[in-house]
Amino acid sequence: MDWQAFALSLRLAAVTTAILLAIAVPLAALIVLGRGRWLAAVEALATLPMVLPPTVLGFFLLVLLGPRTAFGRGIVALLGHPLAFSFDGLVVGSVIYSLPFAVQPLVAGFASVDTALVDAARLLGAGPVRLVSTILIPLARRSLLAAVVMSFLHTIGEFGVVLMLGGDIPGATRTLSIVLYDQVEGFNYAAAGHTALLLLGLSIFALALIYSRTRSHGVAPRDA
Amino acid sequence: MPSPIAAALFAFLALAPLAAQTPLRVAAAADLEPVLPPILVQFEKNTGIHAEATYQSSATLTTQIENGAPFDVFLSADLGFPKRLIDAGLADAAGSADSTTPITYARGTLVLWARKDSHLPSLSLDLLRSPALKRLAIANPDRAPYGRAAVATLQKLKLYDALQPRLVTAENIAQAAQFADSANADAGLISLTSALTPQLSVDGSYFVIPRDLYPPIEQGAVIVSSTGQRAAVHKLLDFLLSPAVQAEFASSGLTPVK
Repeated sequence: MDWQAFALSLRLAAVTTAILLAIAVPLAALIVLGRGRWLAAVEALATLPMVLPPTVLGFFLLVLLGPRTAFGRGIVALLGHPLAFSFDGLVVGSVIYSLPFAVQPLVAGFASVDTALVDAARLLGAGPVRLVSTILIPLARRSLLAAVVMSFLHTIGEFGVVLMLGGDIPGATRTLSIVLYDQVEGFNYAAAGHTALLLLGLSIFALALIYSRTRSHGVAPRDA
Repeated sequence: MPSPIAAALFAFLALAPLAAQTPLRVAAAADLEPVLPPILVQFEKNTGIHAEATYQSSATLTTQIENGAPFDVFLSADLGFPKRLIDAGLADAAGSADSTTPITYARGTLVLWARKDSHLPSLSLDLLRSPALKRLAIANPDRAPYGRAAVATLQKLKLYDALQPRLVTAENIAQAAQFADSANADAGLISLTSALTPQLSVDGSYFVIPRDLYPPIEQGAVIVSSTGQRAAVHKLLDFLLSPAVQAEFASSGLTPVK
């Protein structure tokens, strides 16, 4: 088992999820609470990475943000290296790639909060920050958990973007899904089986966690 | 009652595969991507046989054939991967002198390539010792024969340990060329076939790695034993070894074997 790659995948998913929460909570609140036709465009844009082939993203990050464009040279000046072949590059790719998986559950959760509560809080003078932190997040905490777990898992499972952008560098860009690919290509089916089982187990465990928490009907207990 | 349009569409979808002749499916190493397409067009003109190629690293294609991919012939960038398929009973070289040895159809050449606007010192082996070289793209040495040759070269020059942190590994040799051409890597150890493509000839220049620095990249072909088109495969192999195609290989970056 390649524990270095396992640790790297976990680190990438954790960093990506943290950044995504900081972006997705305000974005989802804006989509739910805001008014105006342009919000439909915002929501569409936030959903785009879900339907976009990862190769499109990989191509944009590699070429349009590469050192041959002015923007790419800005990145090189800032980071000291191009986005490609670096952990930072994978974080940028993952944040874009997993954005819908953080925004969608939060939008659904925030939208299901009773509007009477939101209106009452507004009448009592609550600003948007207070509205989100004291009404929306506490009442939609299951959606928050879903957003965290889905973003995390989707990043762990990322493959196409990493293959195009990563350069397979141990400790920097060789994630667990790339290791699995390397093992299959190297005819090392036994090791590939172990890696695949680890990824499968991780996904089942995390999904079981959210569904046991978010089930509000049937035998599962409601959380108090 | 289905509409006539739907019925016609259904009939078309059901019968279309029968109407067209099954193409010859060629599994080709990624270094052949710039070379093979015009050769296959010429092959169809000469013989009427339509051939379609899939370009991947030699190891990827080997894995796919091991798992039942419907290829008829495999053009590897080395002899090891096709030999592996022969030993597994999945491929053969029937009709050639030794049916258990892949048929060598060309030899590959490794070059050091960089963009003309890369601000690197001039292209030579000394560039590999230059601190200005921050990222060097190579193909994955475990699955791409050109990647293996790149690592052998660096080891022979006793530069491998020093350069290892600066190596970026591409999935196949065509992607290694792409990493260097998009300037994400400063330079690349790539195939001469890539370096001679119109795009890379305009963007950059290359230095031929001396042949004594790496074992020869002997490119071998095998027939996938499950093929139903053995006669057509033999025609293609004969065509690849014909003087005209061997001459075309020479002008597109491969060394002829005949």
